[in-house]
Amino acid sequence: MPDFSLILPHVVFHTFALLITIVSICVVAARHPVKSAVFLVVDLFLLAGLYASLDSHFVAAIQILVYAGAIVVLFLFVIMLLNLQQEQLKGVKFTVVEAGALLITLIGFLVVMFTTMSGKPTGLGEGSLDVAAIEAAGGNTQVVAMKLLTNFIWPFELASMLILMAMVAAIVIAKKDKKVVPAA
Amino acid sequence: MGLTANEFTVQFIATLIKFAIMAGILLQLPPVMVWAERRIPGMMQRRKGPNRVGLFKFRLYGIVQPLADTIKLIMKEEVVPEGAQKAFYHLAPIFSVFPAFLIAMAIPYGPDIHAFGFDVPLSIIRVDVGFLFIFAVSSLAVYGVTIAGWASNNKYSLLGSLRASAQMISYEIPLGMSLIPIVLIYGSLDLNKIVEAQNHVWLWGVFLSPISFVLFLISMFAETNRSPFDLAEAEGELVAGFHTEYTSAKFAAFFLGEYVSMFVLSCLASTVFFGGWQVPFVDILKIDDAIGFTGVGALIGFMSLLLKAGFFMWVYVWVRWTVPRFRYDQLMSLGWHYMVPLGLINIVLTAVILAAIRF
Amino acid sequence: MVPVEFYFVLACVMFLIGLFGALFRRNLIMVLMSIELMLNAVNLVFVAAGRSIGNVDGQIMVLFVIVVAACEAAVGLAMVIAVFRKYGTVNTDILRLLRG
Repeated sequence: MPDFSLILPHVVFHTFALLITIVSICVVAARHPVKSAVFLVVDLFLLAGLYASLDSHFVAAIQILVYAGAIVVLFLFVIMLLNLQQEQLKGVKFTVVEAGALLITLIGFLVVMFTTMSGKPTGLGEGSLDVAAIEAAGGNTQVVAMKLLTNFIWPFELASMLILMAMVAAIVIAKKDKKVVPAA
Repeated sequence: MGLTANEFTVQFIATLIKFAIMAGILLQLPPVMVWAERRIPGMMQRRKGPNRVGLFKFRLYGIVQPLADTIKLIMKEEVVPEGAQKAFYHLAPIFSVFPAFLIAMAIPYGPDIHAFGFDVPLSIIRVDVGFLFIFAVSSLAVYGVTIAGWASNNKYSLLGSLRASAQMISYEIPLGMSLIPIVLIYGSLDLNKIVEAQNHVWLWGVFLSPISFVLFLISMFAETNRSPFDLAEAEGELVAGFHTEYTSAKFAAFFLGEYVSMFVLSCLASTVFFGGWQVPFVDILKIDDAIGFTGVGALIGFMSLLLKAGFFMWVYVWVRWTVPRFRYDQLMSLGWHYMVPLGLINIVLTAVILAAIRF
Repeated sequence: MVPVEFYFVLACVMFLIGLFGALFRRNLIMVLMSIELMLNAVNLVFVAAGRSIGNVDGQIMVLFVIVVAACEAAVGLAMVIAVFRKYGTVNTDILRLLRG
């Protein structure tokens, strides 16, 4: 029998990669915003699966918890609140600037891809995350947490400030005029 | 990774068996709960409740009633409202059932079975960030409700679903906060390790962190949209909330989702606060050796967890028939003005005490 | 194991799809959702690269990106609501006041 530990990662990756590509196209191409939002949830879910296959369980869980559980719900709420209807995709004209931006990014990516791919592919196994060492230090979550609260303590605190500011900003921007609705 | 082909096969088959057992139990929940939810209040209010339907001449306390109900429900005509978003209308019940079943997979139902040189864990998937996984997936339950309400093209449904989703998102925060002290105390996100750490009654979460338990219990009701927080389906105001337009088997699917998520949260509550599969005053890990037969400890552990979860299911019913429904602003005020600050205080308090002990 | 370049290619594809959506969709909410897609492509690169060079910094960066994405979504959607209230539309072809 073949060694499963060698084949399984490839099967997982290629399945997920294919699904992610298809679902991403669906997100962008779906005519109704609610459909897009639902496809986005599926996409985030698949990405979380990919993270989990990269031994990043904590990030995978946070991805679903924050992205799928909170951010996309926010999108869904706003779509329902505004009662957006299907969008007419026909008759959309591409401007030169937009097409140019897309083209330049595409070319840039192709250049980067060819330069990196021309060398020998770096296996994730070689010189990669030392799973044994991380297990000894108390598992992936503990290592991430340790680093987050020591080396990255300032960005961490700043991120909390950013969230606070965003919260205040969102409330101020979205608030209705006081004349229309008395303060609840 | 690092699995040999042989081990892979064994684990695969074991997973299939566990999956079949679990699915069997979860699918039996709604009938039993429907019966319990009519008999228990009957007992409480000194009336009989459904006791007629039986097999042949035996009435069996009306235990066959749910079967009759199910047949009635499935035989009904399925009505899809005009102007509904067809695809989402049909998908919404699946969205509401799927997360509940997914969480049910991550709960440890018993100690590991050591048989024939293999270790078989008694949870279907073993996640080393079990807590976060459960939160992450349970936050997806909002979609079923939101999309069901929106796709029905009915203002009652939409209002119910908006209420329900706002409520579920709000109460996810105290629910998460109530469990942080537990993670601090036991020092792990792995549910298995948390259960193993509770090997003595006084080490149970409910004694080490009672405030957490109260917060968890309250948010549990809100998360599952159960009374006294069942504003999503406040029948006096919103007909039936987000599933107003659902009939037949799809309506039953919402029931299934609700009962399974109730059961899963009950299991989580017993796992975190009441020692999971541990039995008080008995070291369950040594039962196998004492009897000399593998799997007995696991079976007893499983029964123990089911018993504890059953108690919480009973609490659900008990509370439903005791406490009147909250008003919506009261609900939000309870969540944001009382439970979130209390949760924060609880976290800080636990952290300070733990630091003092370890110092 | 799967070469890390495969992950980069997948991320590039995702990023391009997201960019396409952000540029060519005419609905403000769709634009925001496409930007989320692009951010996720970046996250994938962070995780895969972090895994490949052997430390967890990549995962930590993902956490920060998620924080920023949450803020962006909150403020962006608040602005969408404000715009809709003022102009009654979220179509970017109509909202071109700043273009003169």
